[in-house]
Amino acid sequence: MNHNDDPPVKIKGVGDSLWVAVNPNLPVEQLKKELIKPFERLKHLAINARIIIDTGKDDQENNDRLIEELGNYLKAEFQVGHVSKPTPPKRSVNKNRIRQQDMGNAWHHYRNDGLLIAGRVRSGQKIQAKKHLIILGDLNPGAEVIAGGDIIILGCLQGKASAGQPDNENAIIMALEFKPTQIQIGGFVAAGMADSSADRPEFASVEENAIIVDDYIKGNPFRRLAWPEVR
Amino acid sequence: MDGKVVVVTSGKGGVGKTTISASLGAALALQGKRVAVVDMDIGLRNLDVVMGLENRIVFNIVDIIKGRCKIKQAAIRDRRIDNLYLIPASQSDDKNAIKPENMVWLTNRLRKEFDVTLLDCPAGIEQGFKNSIAAADEAIVVCTPEVSAVRDADRIIGLLYAQSITPKLIVNRIVPEMVKNGDMLSHEDVVEVLAIDLIGLIEMDDRVVVSTNTGTPLILQEESKAGMALQRIALRLDGHPDLPIENPMDKKSFWKKLGSRFSRKN
Repeated sequence: MNHNDDPPVKIKGVGDSLWVAVNPNLPVEQLKKELIKPFERLKHLAINARIIIDTGKDDQENNDRLIEELGNYLKAEFQVGHVSKPTPPKRSVNKNRIRQQDMGNAWHHYRNDGLLIAGRVRSGQKIQAKKHLIILGDLNPGAEVIAGGDIIILGCLQGKASAGQPDNENAIIMALEFKPTQIQIGGFVAAGMADSSADRPEFASVEENAIIVDDYIKGNPFRRLAWPEVR
Repeated sequence: MDGKVVVVTSGKGGVGKTTISASLGAALALQGKRVAVVDMDIGLRNLDVVMGLENRIVFNIVDIIKGRCKIKQAAIRDRRIDNLYLIPASQSDDKNAIKPENMVWLTNRLRKEFDVTLLDCPAGIEQGFKNSIAAADEAIVVCTPEVSAVRDADRIIGLLYAQSITPKLIVNRIVPEMVKNGDMLSHEDVVEVLAIDLIGLIEMDDRVVVSTNTGTPLILQEESKAGMALQRIALRLDGHPDLPIENPMDKKSFWKKLGSRFSRKN
């Protein structure tokens, strides 16, 4: 901020006080002259008024001297009451803390765009969801599902699943039985999955520009989140 | 009471739709039903060959639809089995010669005359398939234990459900020995993917080839495992839905095992 362009003196009412902003770069005599005009206009309002002089600087010594001198001048000329410097604002919020939202009331703030369907998706059928897609059932070979967000299949995934379309690489694909013919996350494609005969829930995600499939129970990526968040 | 119309379909070709249609028709007729078997594969007819009625075709299904003959004139009566009739397909037209509404009209007539009308659906999901399922009350999906057949059957099942038809499944050409060795999908694997009710399991049977080549009904052949299985399917289809489904077992190896056990003792 360039103080030279500011008007030498500004006055405004703040609470029960008059906030006097002065330009500390100007000589004291000029500031005194500038103060006369507005305080003459205030007339009796200035008498016994509480004054806060703001120099806009943190330089303690020079500030205090300037404020004291100007305060004494105002007291003598306009019979103002108490003169002080601005109190530093209290920092009640710790900047370093992660902002945590109360998910208890999440319903009031978030509407879910997810698509939840039940049943078996058969060969030749294609299901598209704008955001997340949850299927309570199986996805047969030859079937295709496409979602803008995550794909969660509470059943056997044997067809083709494309999550995070077109460009969300944070999306995951999860299935209780993970045997897809092909999966896509964002722009990444993985085909011909190695025969993962593990009868456990698995999920696929993008890590270091490749699709990685991991055991969902062991490698649950959301377990590390400190606080529930909306996906 | 009106009869029912059952479509035999599969999606994939060569899984045994035509043979099963012919044999089921014969089995139902032997059980005393009046049965019409309709060949829907217009342009590639062969149900007449399988049933051994090729040389008696005068009119065909397209002639009926176009009004060139009556249904009775086109329906060929099987001389070996009472109450079994074939409505053959045309060999010179193509599938677009008839429309789904024509089939609804035809099957409504057939319902009045026959207890069961079996429609032998062509492979694929095009016009011939649409014609066949437009008029059907029930559907039998034929599937072999092959990944490709399962994939196509799955598609067909989706399309049938879209038409509010709940299909039943026949798993055809099971080779028990290969299933046991893990070289072939078991019928459990097939049912797990397709998730529909099973109506029968048919074992691989060399006699089927002889039967289709000579035009003699499979179920009239003695000791044909496939024929026996089809007779049981016909019972399940008509009035005995709870007849238990026999799992084709590798009987040879059973005796072999028994034999080896005895020999070990000696």
